[in-house]
Amino acid sequence: MIRTCDVLVIGGGPAGLAAAIAADKEGAKVILIERESRLGGILKQCIHDGFGLVRFKEKLSGPEYAERFIDEFKSRGIEAKTLTFVTSVERISTGFKATVVSREGVEVIETKSLILATGCRERTSKQVFIHGTRPSGVFTAGTAQHFTNLLGQLPTKRCVILGSGDIGLIMARRLTLEGAKVLGVYEVKPTPSGLTRNIHQCLNDFDIPLHLSHTVTRVFGQDRLEAVEVAKVDDKMRAIPGTEEIIECDALILSVGLIPENEIAETLEVQIDGRTKGPRCDASLMTTVPGIFSCGNALHVNDLVDYVSESGETAGKNAAHFALGTERVLVDIKPNENILYIVPQTLDINKKNDDVVVYFRSKEVFNKATFRIIADGKIVFEKKYAFLRPPEMEKIVADFSKFNLREYSKITAEVEVDAK
Amino acid sequence: MNLVCITCPRGCTVNIEKVGDDWKVSGNSCNKGREFAINEMTKPMRTICSTVKTTFSDAPVLPCRVSADIPKDKIFDVMKEINKVVVDKPIGRGDVIIKNALDLGVDVISTSDLLSQI
Amino acid sequence: MPNIKKIQKKLSKEYGDKVQVTFENDIIRLTGELDNWDDVFAACSMAATKNSKIHVVNDIKFTGDKIPPMRVPSLVDTTLEGKTPDVLVIGGGISGCAIARELSKWNIDVMLIEKNADFAMGASGANDGEVHVGFDLSKGSLKQKYVLLGNHMYDKLCSDLSVPFRREGQYALFTQSWLFLPVLFFCIWRKYHDGVTDTHFLTRRKILKAEPTFDRRIRFGVYNHSAGVVCPYGLTIAYAENAVENGAEAYLNTAVLSIDTDDNGVITAVNTNRGTIKPKIVVNAAGVFADDIAEMANDRFYSIHPRRGTNSIQDRKSAKIIDTIASVQHIDLKQQSKSHTKGGGLMRTVHDNILAGPDAVECYAKEDTATHPESIKVTYDKQKGTVPLASERDIITYFTGVRAPTFEEDFVIEWGRNCGNLFHCGGIQSPGLTAAPAFALDIEMMIVERLSKMMTVEKKTKWQPKRQAVPVLKDMSPAKRAALIAKNPDYGVIICRCEEISKGEIIDALNRPLCPPTVDAIKKRIRPGMGRCQGGFCSPLVTKIIAEHEHCTLSDVKKSSAEAVICYGETKGGDTE
Repeated sequence: MIRTCDVLVIGGGPAGLAAAIAADKEGAKVILIERESRLGGILKQCIHDGFGLVRFKEKLSGPEYAERFIDEFKSRGIEAKTLTFVTSVERISTGFKATVVSREGVEVIETKSLILATGCRERTSKQVFIHGTRPSGVFTAGTAQHFTNLLGQLPTKRCVILGSGDIGLIMARRLTLEGAKVLGVYEVKPTPSGLTRNIHQCLNDFDIPLHLSHTVTRVFGQDRLEAVEVAKVDDKMRAIPGTEEIIECDALILSVGLIPENEIAETLEVQIDGRTKGPRCDASLMTTVPGIFSCGNALHVNDLVDYVSESGETAGKNAAHFALGTERVLVDIKPNENILYIVPQTLDINKKNDDVVVYFRSKEVFNKATFRIIADGKIVFEKKYAFLRPPEMEKIVADFSKFNLREYSKITAEVEVDAK
Repeated sequence: MNLVCITCPRGCTVNIEKVGDDWKVSGNSCNKGREFAINEMTKPMRTICSTVKTTFSDAPVLPCRVSADIPKDKIFDVMKEINKVVVDKPIGRGDVIIKNALDLGVDVISTSDLLSQI
Repeated sequence: MPNIKKIQKKLSKEYGDKVQVTFENDIIRLTGELDNWDDVFAACSMAATKNSKIHVVNDIKFTGDKIPPMRVPSLVDTTLEGKTPDVLVIGGGISGCAIARELSKWNIDVMLIEKNADFAMGASGANDGEVHVGFDLSKGSLKQKYVLLGNHMYDKLCSDLSVPFRREGQYALFTQSWLFLPVLFFCIWRKYHDGVTDTHFLTRRKILKAEPTFDRRIRFGVYNHSAGVVCPYGLTIAYAENAVENGAEAYLNTAVLSIDTDDNGVITAVNTNRGTIKPKIVVNAAGVFADDIAEMANDRFYSIHPRRGTNSIQDRKSAKIIDTIASVQHIDLKQQSKSHTKGGGLMRTVHDNILAGPDAVECYAKEDTATHPESIKVTYDKQKGTVPLASERDIITYFTGVRAPTFEEDFVIEWGRNCGNLFHCGGIQSPGLTAAPAFALDIEMMIVERLSKMMTVEKKTKWQPKRQAVPVLKDMSPAKRAALIAKNPDYGVIICRCEEISKGEIIDALNRPLCPPTVDAIKKRIRPGMGRCQGGFCSPLVTKIIAEHEHCTLSDVKKSSAEAVICYGETKGGDTE
């Protein structure tokens, strides 16, 4: 039996939920596929608060934030297929054909448009080239969080955390509250990767030291981890010989970066941006393949869930209105060297583009900088910032409608540094 | 003295000084920053998010938090209370798990409907 | 008969009076004291003759560091006390498991013991999985004999045991033009003298046409189409499972602590952490510890010198860079290098990952499987010359194994010289995986022959050489997959997203004979956690499935050994441990 829908959403986390709701609001027939048994994605295990400040003006925990969307999703009667896994997606003349497996068997769903809300995954210890033995007790922060917050199990009594990403900082506090000793957080970069407030409320509040320009080079222990070796790094992030120190502990928890999950996108030959590791999109969050949309952390790694939901809504709304055969003329937005990445990467000049939401991150910490978008020599948007930090994504809304964009137009985004 | 405001992800660096009986606050982007800074100097408050044990095998723990901020120095005392509880009914999001924990005037509440979904 | 005086002269020149050599009972014994392991290795190698049956025994005291003792499982019980198997096989690597399986054809009691928490935990597990053609081996060695025989057995064997195997062919590539004639003559020699008949000599044009991803600097190469790739730990486990399905007994976490022999040098008892076993015949397939077992039985006539090698595994995304086995060879005449397979090769594994390596580093710790950054560097520096697209950035994991060579660098496959009922299967290193199926058959016959003198030995009438593997649903057609899910809905619940492994497959694996209920054992058998997230997403889920299956708490589930704790118990309430 082949099912059909207008919009097929892959992923039932905050991005997918928002996308499905937005597409439903536009009158589209939506089916959402979720591989786990419950909707909510990673928010199910993010039990800390701080979610939804932008959207709800409230400090919500992850589950609370997710469940607000789940409640709306359910009240709208949108179909969700949980415990269902997409094994393949192919292009067909009417759109896309997804094959999914679940306890019910193998099912084929044909859809006009597709939203990829597949989230991201964590970099592992081997991806940051940690050497030594292979004991138990090496966890990514998310895995440790799963054990602690979903299974109620303590994965460590005494640990070292590598990486000052937000999940690592949150887990430092979380494990401390649950009775574990966090000996320190080590960060290879000279600046923290996570939000400043998390450094304060997760580390400083509990006297957990943060060691910048340090890394973990080796792990020890045959069965369970017994110790790690940490070392200072030079300005090229290489361990400095002679600075090694052995720290006895039972776990190494890694918060060393997130990578958007785009395995399905890649099989469909969606172009991936080397900077974001997510699909290249236009302002409607349509990827380079017509009919495929991307949102949330699959598009680029966000630091606030509010923006994840926002991108989901953009993708959902536009996917609902997607009609085959609509011509796009894409013009790149080229970022300058001070910009880590920018989303969207392109504009479809056939669209009005009067309220283009632009997300960007600076490449380094800049105090006093100006962000500017220039189209054919004219300033489309300009904003001055007291500071720009890579861990903190910036969002602006730009109006391109008065700039008469053509296919040969040159659009650039730049951060001009007034002082470093 | 410089503080980092933790009220929102912006994380403003706020400067606070005592001027007579009053506080002089600068660097904050909003009024919450001023409130935070003054609180931090007089009675620092924090929230707790944790889990409580349940009797349900498919959800051995239920996420919870305090309904309002508690004094920072009471964090581990409240955690002890949270660790004692076992939830055996499928309570919902917002339901009270511990009423008026340690007489702080703050409840420990469930933050998920998870138990009603399993 | 080795020239001991000449050897002593060479040793004295190099090491003064620090090393002495004696020759007695056909053993070249080195004694003395050295503080550098490279010197110990070099001294012993100096005294050894390649492929000789007269072995070097290393009794040089190494003073540079403490050599760690053999790790022994913490388990102590009496499960095996008083057991009297006809044949006791020590070591659950490819050799021991293959021998146990072949012996299971006969109506004899076969017992296989392995000290680790699973099979294939040594070199068989950390192997690159190449099924060699023996192109680099000369006639006269056991290695050469068995590699040729073993290679031909692989198609049927892997089909019988349901183990993934592919013949992909192997390239040896050359960038130095002056090697053209020597290599050409070498090929002809191998073909007509050594029986490696599938060698093709290829020009640059032909190679690059067939393999456009190879480095353009290649001048010519040699291709052997019968080289293949197999899942090395998969084959080892399959052998063990099939042995047990045919009546053999197998025990993990069982280490030999000592051996009792009588006045005639016959083994009377093998003492383990799980009781004393009294076997008629003992097979020593103990890998890096083969010489230690030999010593326990007063029959140490060879020495193992551990040589570690590290392999890197790349994400399946990069699988398209190579679909065969290849390695660029560089001959440096100035550097008299004695190194073995430095930097290894590049290949696509049976699971469609790219594997790079292994390197080769002499080491004194037999179980030192720690990885080092230099290994990755050496391997990739070399392999970028094979396929320039090979990139460290695509690595998802790396692991180290320790090879178990003798100083003569050949296998030791023979009855004990001092111990009448001990059979040695030692010195097994590359191409041991390829050779094992063949030498296991020979060992089977030698043991049956010896045993026949002690008891009636007959073939079982119902020996089942075929093994059913856990179904791999992701490789099935949708219809077949749907049919299986209809029978068992757990096949439709995907637990490992990277490798697409279902809950049903995990439970099937747990229900297989000999599967330890650990996260690593499941990973080895059906691959959850082998993908790009390395178990980040699925390890908590697999832990939970194991706990449910075993009716234990989550904290009882281990990564591998009993000490490899994953979780320390509940965060709150109740759980008091």
